[in-house]
Formats: sequence, C-alpha cells, structure tokens
Amino acid sequence: MSTLEILMAGVIAIIGIGLYGLLITRNLIKVVVALQILVKGALLALVAAGEASGQVNLGQSLAITVIVADTVVAVVGLALAVQAKRLLGTLDVDALSTLKG
Amino acid sequence: MTDWLIVLTIGLPWLGALAVWLTGDDRPDQQHRLAVIFSVLAGITALLLIPSTSDSVALRIDVGSVFGDFTFVPDGLGVFLAAVATVVGCLAVVFAVDYMDGEKQLGRFYSFVLLFIGAMVGLVLTGSILLLFIFWEITALTSYALISFHNDDPKAVAGGIKALVMTSFGGVGMLIGGLIVYAYLGDYQISTLLSRADELPSGVLAALAFGFLIAAAAKSAQVPFHTWLPGAMEAPTPVSALIHAATMVNGGVYVLARFYPAFEGVNGWTTAVTVVGLVSALMAALMALVATDLKRVLAYSTVSQLGYMVYAIGVGDIFASQFHLLSHAVFKALLFLSAGAVIHSVGTRDMREMGGLGKQMPFVRNVFVVGSLALAGLPILNGFWSKELILEGGLHDGPVWAYIGMVIGAGITALYTFRMVWLVFYSEPRAKLHVHPAGQMMRLSTGILAAGTATTWLLIGLFGELLEDTLPFHHLHVEAGTTLLGDVLTAPATYLALGVVALGLLAWWFRDLLSGVAASLRPIGDAAAADFGFEWLNRRVALWVTTAGESLRTFQTGSVNWNVAGIVGALIVVLVILALGA
Repeated sequence: MSTLEILMAGVIAIIGIGLYGLLITRNLIKVVVALQILVKGALLALVAAGEASGQVNLGQSLAITVIVADTVVAVVGLALAVQAKRLLGTLDVDALSTLKG
Repeated sequence: MTDWLIVLTIGLPWLGALAVWLTGDDRPDQQHRLAVIFSVLAGITALLLIPSTSDSVALRIDVGSVFGDFTFVPDGLGVFLAAVATVVGCLAVVFAVDYMDGEKQLGRFYSFVLLFIGAMVGLVLTGSILLLFIFWEITALTSYALISFHNDDPKAVAGGIKALVMTSFGGVGMLIGGLIVYAYLGDYQISTLLSRADELPSGVLAALAFGFLIAAAAKSAQVPFHTWLPGAMEAPTPVSALIHAATMVNGGVYVLARFYPAFEGVNGWTTAVTVVGLVSALMAALMALVATDLKRVLAYSTVSQLGYMVYAIGVGDIFASQFHLLSHAVFKALLFLSAGAVIHSVGTRDMREMGGLGKQMPFVRNVFVVGSLALAGLPILNGFWSKELILEGGLHDGPVWAYIGMVIGAGITALYTFRMVWLVFYSEPRAKLHVHPAGQMMRLSTGILAAGTATTWLLIGLFGELLEDTLPFHHLHVEAGTTLLGDVLTAPATYLALGVVALGLLAWWFRDLLSGVAASLRPIGDAAAADFGFEWLNRRVALWVTTAGESLRTFQTGSVNWNVAGIVGALIVVLVILALGA
C-alpha cells in the first residue's frame, strides 16, 4: 500500500466520522465538533493531493487558508451555542428553529 | 466624438436620475426642473447622434474574455429608436410636470423614468447580446417599478408583478440565446451571429430563433403574452405613454428586426412571426372595441399596432415595420398623453362616464383627434403612410389570408378609434364631471407630439437611407422617399385599405341601423371582453405554480440532519456515476 493510499483511507475515515456526527446529533456543540472533524479530513486530503501532484506549496497554503476560515466557523458556532444556552436554555438544534416562516 | 455622444445619451438620464433622487422629496419644484433639464439634454444628444450614423463599432469597452467586449454600434435602426426614446421621453417628463404635480415621492417617479430612458437608449445602441440582455432587464425592472408606483393600490402592485414575471420570462429566453451564441461562435457580438448564423447546427439555430420570438412576444405584449399590458395601465399616464406605448414595448419588435437576417432561413419561423402578428392585431382590435376603460382601449390598440409591426417583419418588410414603429411611437404617445390630460381633469378612466368633453377641453380634443386619425390610418398623417407601407408589403411578399386579416384589422381599428373619440369628446355628457382645463406643460408636450404626428412621415427618405446604408446584413433596398410616397399613393392596396377604414367609420356612424348585426355579434364581443380566455389561462398557470411551490415546501425541513443526509446521498450518486463512467 502506498503512502497516498494510506492517506486517502485516513481521509475517508475522518470525513465519514464527521458526516456520521452531523447526521445523528442534534446538540449544537456536537454539530460544531463534527463539522471540525469533517474539515480536518478535507485538510488532510488537500495536503495529500498537493504532495501527490507535486505542488506541495499550493496544497499547504490552501490548507492554512482553510484552517483560518474553519477557526472562524468554530468560534462563531461555539459563541452562538453559548448564547443559545444562556437565552433559550437548550442546545437542541430542532428546538432552536424559532425562525419558522 | 460619436463615442462621447453615446456615453452622454445613456449617461445623462442616469445622472439625472441620481440628481433627482439626491434632491429629496421635500423640494418637488427642483425635482421637476432637474428631470426636465436632464431629459431634454438627452433628447438633444440623441438627435445629434443621427448625423454620425455608421455601421461600425463606435464605442468598445474591454471587460475581459468571459463577457466579451461591450460594444455600441450607432446604426440607423439604433439611432432612430434612441432618438424616439429620448425625445418622447423628454416630452413625457414635461407632461409629468403638470400631471404629477402634488404627488408624493416624486423622486422615485422621476428617477425610474430617467433610468428607463437611459436603459432604452443602451438597449437599441448596444452591439453585444449580453449587454442587450442587461438593458432589457433594466427596462423590465423600471417598468415594474413604475406600474406599481402607487404601491398602496393592490391593482397597481398586481399589474406590476404580472408585467415583471412575463417580461422576465422573455428575458431568460434572450439570455439563453446569448449563451448559445457564445458557446457555438465564441462571441457575444450581434454582428458575429448575423454573419455566421449558418455555422450553427440547424436545430440550434431554430431553437434560438423561436426563443427570441418568445422573448420578443413577451416584451412586445403579443399573443399569448399580451395580458400584462392592460394590467400595466395602472401606471401614471406619462409612464404608459413612454414605456407602454412609445418605447419599451417596441423592444420586442426591434429585436426581431435586428436578428431577422440570422433567422429568416429557419423553417417556419417567418410564418410563425406572421401568425403571431396577425392574431395579436385582430384579437387586440376586437378587445379594444368592447373595452370601456379609456387607457385599456389604448393599451389593446398598442398590442394591435405592435401586431402590425410583427406581421411586417414576418413577411420580410423590415423597413415598413420600423417605420410604423416610429409613427406609432409618436401618435400613440400623443394619444396616451392627451388621454392623460382628460383623465387628470375629470378624475375617471371610464369612458361611459365621459362624453361631450370636447367643448370644455377644445385643445385636448384637437390633438386627440389628430392622434386618432393617425391611428385609424387616414391621410396624410404619419400612421397612414406607415400602415399602408405594411399592408402593401404584406400583399406583395406575404400570404393572402394574412393580408386579408390585416385589412380587416385596419377596419376594426378605425371602428374602435371613432367609438373612443365619440364616447369621450362628443355625444351628450353622461355624468356630471368637474372639468378643469389642461395645464401649460400638458399643452406644450401634446402640441409638439401632434405636430410630429402630422410631419414625421416626411422623414421617410432619411430613415430609409440610414437603414439601407448601415445595416449590412439586412440587404435592404429602400427606394427614395418620394418614390415610396408615390408608390403608396398609386397602389390599389392603399385604396382598398382606405375603403375598409371608411367602412369602419360608416359602421360606427350607422351603428343604430346595424344594431341587428351587432346583436348577432354579441358572443364575439363577450369573448373579447373576457380577453378570449387568456386571462383565465394566466390565472391557471399562476395557480399551478403556487400550488407546486407550496407542495415542494415540505422538502425544506430546516433540520441539519436531513440536509446532511441529502448531501451524503448526492455524494453517493456522484461517486456511483463516476465509478460507472470510469
């Protein structure tokens, strides 16, 4: 098994865990965590693809960009979770859907 | 020089729109003044553009390879329509100084009118299909905003939405057409399409041709998309005169004429255009005959006259079609504006409540009669020459059944025109109406238009020459102006049409004697009053779309889990397709 194949197996495993988490959880904090896991899988795929195509710099700089964007998502998501718990007393995303229109 | 004139003709109205907007609604006098100044300046620059007409690109803006060059070509067709848009535009603005006096939110009104004038100039001068689409949609947007100007009136809002939906439907067809041209020919330029149309596969070219026909029918309110135009009559009258009679609705006819050389070879296309024009002209004339709302009569008559132009394109007579467009723009703007003066002074649009107004408003009556005679096609006004040219061309180059239909249409036109004039200005007053005379600005603008109605046919030679010289793909052979006028005067077709028009006049005159015939025609009249079922069809389509939308709502759960499940499902489908493909 080549390094690339091992890496890709890892990517699929991590993304699978993230997707599974998103599918089953209704807790807002767990949603954010699952999203983070999913994006980490994508990061690994980016770096591996850069290595495989010979454009290591491109893959790694893209990965760093994604890390920055992803951090923002985590910060905003967790801040929302804190406020939701404080104001509405629940973290259940279905119960939070007061924006019915 | 020419490029600056083009920039000014489009830019001045837009600059004016901004200026009026920034002035604020607390200074209405200043707003009136600014709107008039900027629209008159635009009219002057457009007229200055006429001597520098040419068939080459005068202004090219490089916007990168994706969008192609944005080009402007001041050819005869475009320059003449730009002049019509700006000159009628400035007269409508002058008229609005009186008509809209005391209305709230003048800034919104004038800004959209000026935005429209600029966009209309851009639409007719541009040489790029993509830019044509953009200007096309700006005119649709301003039309919508101005129909719904009185946005506390549910009828006005409904009419605006209807117009927006229908014309945007046509706009999408135009965008798809532009993208197809880009995909096959690698360019958005109209000239590329016209010169290399035969390189397209015939199926694609046919789809393109019929797509543009649908787009044009939606914009020009032709059957079966005509229902939005009567609804658009909720707009303030200067807007109806400018957008829904003189300029925007001509956009469809303009597009058909512009792309005619590319599509004329498509199987069945010219017949389809002829039939659309014929059916629109006849049906709308019948509907005008039974309508009781003054502005609706004029709206149906616009649909009918646009039908004449579309018919002329169908039989290949581009010059007659565009010449009638010019005449119609002038006399229909006159009719709308003088109808606006009547409505403004009596406060109702129902013709059954009018009557005998001629004595109280002699000036308005006189200009309205001039416009009506042109609409009915009586010599020597401009409507006579252009309509006779169309009918003559139709007899020469088109099928005989279509010609007979159009001549009957001319008779019905005369009939409903005389009915309208009679009901409004003559006969006995049917209701006590408080009449106050038309304002100075109203007299000025309608007076100029009446003079135009009596004289624009003198431009026939110049117009023909410009079209012949600057439209390289149309292969037009327009004879000299005097020859054309002589032809019209000596052709038997002219006297046939005049005879039918006279029959229409006599039918109205002896309507009491013909009451038996009228009673037997009652079912047709009832069907016409019910819009021949098209209104019903409209409502069904709208209902169907709303129901479909409501039932699709269940798919929008808003639940993260379901959304992720959807994403995973789609991912699996893509992976399976890739696996099978590889």
